[in-house]
Amino acid sequence: MSLMVAGVDIGSLCTKTVILSAERKILSFNILRSGAVYRGAAESSLNEALKTLGFNIKDLKYVVSTGYGRARVPFADAEVTEITCHARGANYFFPEVRTVIDIGGQDSKVIRVNETGQAVRFVMNDKCAAGTGRFLEVMAGALGVDLEEMSEIALYAHEDIEVSSTCTVFAESEIISLLAGGYEKREIAAAIYKAIARRITGLTGQIGLVEKVAMTGGVAKSGGVVRALEKKLGVALLIPPEPQIVGACGAALIAREKALP
Amino acid sequence: MERILKKFFELTANPYGSLAEWKEKNKKKVIGCYPMQLPEEIIHAAGMLPVIIWRSNEPVTMGHAHIAPFNCGLTRSFVDDAVKGKLSFLDGVVFYRMCLQAQSLPFIIERNACPSYMEYLYLPALYPGASIRDYLIEEFERLKKSLEEFGGQEITVQSLNRSISVYNRNRRLLAEVYALRREKPGLIKGREMQAIVNSSMLMPKEEHNRLLEELIPELKKRSPADQKVRVVIYGGLCQTVQPEVLDLIESLGMVIVDDDMYVGSRYFANEVEASEKPVESLANRYLKKLPPCPTKGDWETDWTDYVIEIVKRNKAQGVITMLVKFCPPHLCYYPDLKRKFAEHGIPEVLIELEHEVISLEQTRTRLQSFIEIIGGV
Amino acid sequence: MEYKLNRLKTTSLIGPMVDKHWEGLRLAKQKGEKVAWCSGPLFIFPYAMNMKCHFMAGYAAYCGGRNQADRLLEIAEDDGDLPDTCSYHRLHMGMAAAVEKGIPVKEEVILPIPDLMISGRLCPEMSHYAEGLYRKMGIRVVGVDAAPPHREEDMLPMERFFERQIKENLIPALEEVCGRPFDYDRMSEILAVLKKTAELRNECWEYFKKTPSPWTLWDYGVSIAPVFYLMGNPETIPYYEKLKAELAERAEQNVGAVEPEKYRLYWDGWLPWGFLGKFIRKMAPFGAVPLVGRYPWEFFPHPERIEPYPDPVRTFVKQVYSDGGLARANLPALALPEICKWIETYSIDGLIMFSSKTCRMWNMGHPDTIDEIERRYGIPGVVIEADMVDSRMLSEAQIDTRLSALFEMIETRKKARKR
Repeated sequence: MSLMVAGVDIGSLCTKTVILSAERKILSFNILRSGAVYRGAAESSLNEALKTLGFNIKDLKYVVSTGYGRARVPFADAEVTEITCHARGANYFFPEVRTVIDIGGQDSKVIRVNETGQAVRFVMNDKCAAGTGRFLEVMAGALGVDLEEMSEIALYAHEDIEVSSTCTVFAESEIISLLAGGYEKREIAAAIYKAIARRITGLTGQIGLVEKVAMTGGVAKSGGVVRALEKKLGVALLIPPEPQIVGACGAALIAREKALP
Repeated sequence: MERILKKFFELTANPYGSLAEWKEKNKKKVIGCYPMQLPEEIIHAAGMLPVIIWRSNEPVTMGHAHIAPFNCGLTRSFVDDAVKGKLSFLDGVVFYRMCLQAQSLPFIIERNACPSYMEYLYLPALYPGASIRDYLIEEFERLKKSLEEFGGQEITVQSLNRSISVYNRNRRLLAEVYALRREKPGLIKGREMQAIVNSSMLMPKEEHNRLLEELIPELKKRSPADQKVRVVIYGGLCQTVQPEVLDLIESLGMVIVDDDMYVGSRYFANEVEASEKPVESLANRYLKKLPPCPTKGDWETDWTDYVIEIVKRNKAQGVITMLVKFCPPHLCYYPDLKRKFAEHGIPEVLIELEHEVISLEQTRTRLQSFIEIIGGV
Repeated sequence: MEYKLNRLKTTSLIGPMVDKHWEGLRLAKQKGEKVAWCSGPLFIFPYAMNMKCHFMAGYAAYCGGRNQADRLLEIAEDDGDLPDTCSYHRLHMGMAAAVEKGIPVKEEVILPIPDLMISGRLCPEMSHYAEGLYRKMGIRVVGVDAAPPHREEDMLPMERFFERQIKENLIPALEEVCGRPFDYDRMSEILAVLKKTAELRNECWEYFKKTPSPWTLWDYGVSIAPVFYLMGNPETIPYYEKLKAELAERAEQNVGAVEPEKYRLYWDGWLPWGFLGKFIRKMAPFGAVPLVGRYPWEFFPHPERIEPYPDPVRTFVKQVYSDGGLARANLPALALPEICKWIETYSIDGLIMFSSKTCRMWNMGHPDTIDEIERRYGIPGVVIEADMVDSRMLSEAQIDTRLSALFEMIETRKKARKR
């Protein structure tokens, strides 16, 4: 192995690592639930990813950290925001993409990307948690189902109802009263996805939707959100095989550029 | 120099104590003015100290029993201060109809702070037509008369012109500080600049003028920090920005070359002409269309063009929007600003300002991404 | 609790009248008529020039009632507008964007892009949409500043200012757009019809004093257009005649709108146009009836003072300021004495302060008003936070809890008084 670089994305819920070769090939990746200590999580995730290859940190030429914990990774050579990284990562998987919707654990972003994978413009959600991974988890909790189940049951919704509140606290109480009102979980689940989609299209509106559109971040794994969003936006979303590592992959790509200018 | 800056920081961090002390020593009345357009000169000429209402450093607690949380930070913080009894040193408050929040505020303040003097001006929108100017002058005259009654001191043409010249001097000095920064970006830190302007709103202008006269030659001796990414900040209507946000901008490798902020260049823009009819001169200042203000109802002057002009004049590489949460005049304007910045290829980033602890982590991500976009990574 | 909601027959006649109004506007351009959009109480002026004119809050209420508000708000946000702005502002930006870009919306709510925007600055926020559309589409704007006063002594100078702007700015702009002199005679005719209709409306108001009340504030709410944006339409007179007759009949038979009637309520702020049914279904099971409110009472409460001849502008201006409710109802300081009067006149048991999250005109001063009324009359009140049309700002669970709390408080006070 001539040269290896890594990108580590320390998010609010998970830490992700991607190891990249000089030829920009993903050699391995890892996803780990972040604990309270970002430093430990970053190191563990990186070590896990390296272990499968039989290497350790010393063998890396360059490491770029990103995500909320990016400033607290002592072994990183540089830190770059997740916005730049998601733009770069999405471009790696889909060079034709011009808009990236990234929904992570605690925030959501819509990023305009150019043909070289540079972020040109972006919008982010405000402090409200609506339309984030956290929102989804709280709602699933209120329904008493896990995320996969929620996505599944929503497919069978046949009555159209609304969860109108976009505030996490309000929406939770709304769900509880819908349940008490005798509504089926499947209808409520579908309504939750619609509410998230509406929130995200509001963000998209601030920046304008240019095709093609990719979705990245952990929430892209939720079929329910993807379906609702595609319907609302009226476009098909391109989703990488492992959407959660796009940020880390972007970080690794930047690490490679820095190591091999 | 450090002594003066320290004084500015102390005053702006805790105006309550300083003002109560000043009042005790000088035996003069202190009148709170709601930002952004009141003719402070008239209050000054009445022998009182006008100060611009500020946002406290405390989170809003008791105030929320009187005002809903979906109002802007300044309004809520002011109500909170009033019900907590922190404003007892104010002899009076003057409001005007700037936005819906300022419009209903006097009712709450009158009931909960009971200032001995309260006045409310209906300053009109900048719609075309002579009636606007006439009515505006009528309103300023009404304020003058009511202050004369309250203070027991006549406001003469001479005394008002004297006050106007003190205020003009302050405007000129502040403009000089701004020119220094434009010439040598980095010479004055963002938080310093904000304190320099903010302190002018909170102390007698004569004293502020003296301090600025002393400060300016000292500032000139400083050597500016390294050349960095040049940015312009704009917005921040009525309110100051948390100094931490300004620090963050600088720590990420940007330098603020100029601004279009209320606690900034908007405050000292436009001098008042000396004339035989000083009230009319004050009205003429209010009627100026630049800097464009979204609270003034002027649909023809484009705010974005004005900001873009500042960006170009300063060869700035980007612009940072300081948007006060729940400030409808700015919120309603923002889509146009954003669109037009993009059309002109000017990178822009939005920072939402809240009274309560701002999410510095998210702000950092926004600002850092912004600089990555400008600088390319 | 077993309850009955007795709907009025007459109010079903309002739908077709309102639909006709908005249809007239929608088709105006095809007929070569001039169109204005208007905020504040100034649409009578384009009406007098035979222009078709929309009224901002009326149109937003109409969209809310037709369940189309959410769709228009969504279009606005997709176009970049921010959700913390006034939902009426956003709704209009959404409508303009839909027409401009050909985004599909339900036909009945479509509005043509106007030839003139009249920015009646009763609410500074409502003028932002006129400014925004000028910047976006270059639509001509004429502005009239119309602040509501805090004190009685400010009333007359403001009235004079309002009148001057109408004469010097608004009327010349209309004359220019229409290419002919202003039609004062037509304005007088409109005012004559309004006078008659509003006088009948005042007679209907008398029935709110009765226990049980034969109609609710909601019934009046859907009947507001005849004393506002339908002004001058001769059909508004027979409408209120029929309404009055139906109320008289009910009163005679002692039929209440909500049976049994237990709590008589004052409702502050906007009527929840998008959610009228939702709210009445939450109140009626408790025997609670909304009867009177600051907003619905601001429309020409003293029609007897309307003098259509010889100077219609003068009498109209007085109706808005010194003779009227509009200037008196909008700020809490001047509204408070009015609220006290209504509490006495209509035997009110409790207050609901409807606090619209995006309307800073009607969300300020609520807790202090409750406090003041409680001190004077010993009756309780609650603040309900929601929005006039944006359904995302509404939490049903919260509303239910607050309503129950209000009724419990009323009950406790009633018991305490009996002792």
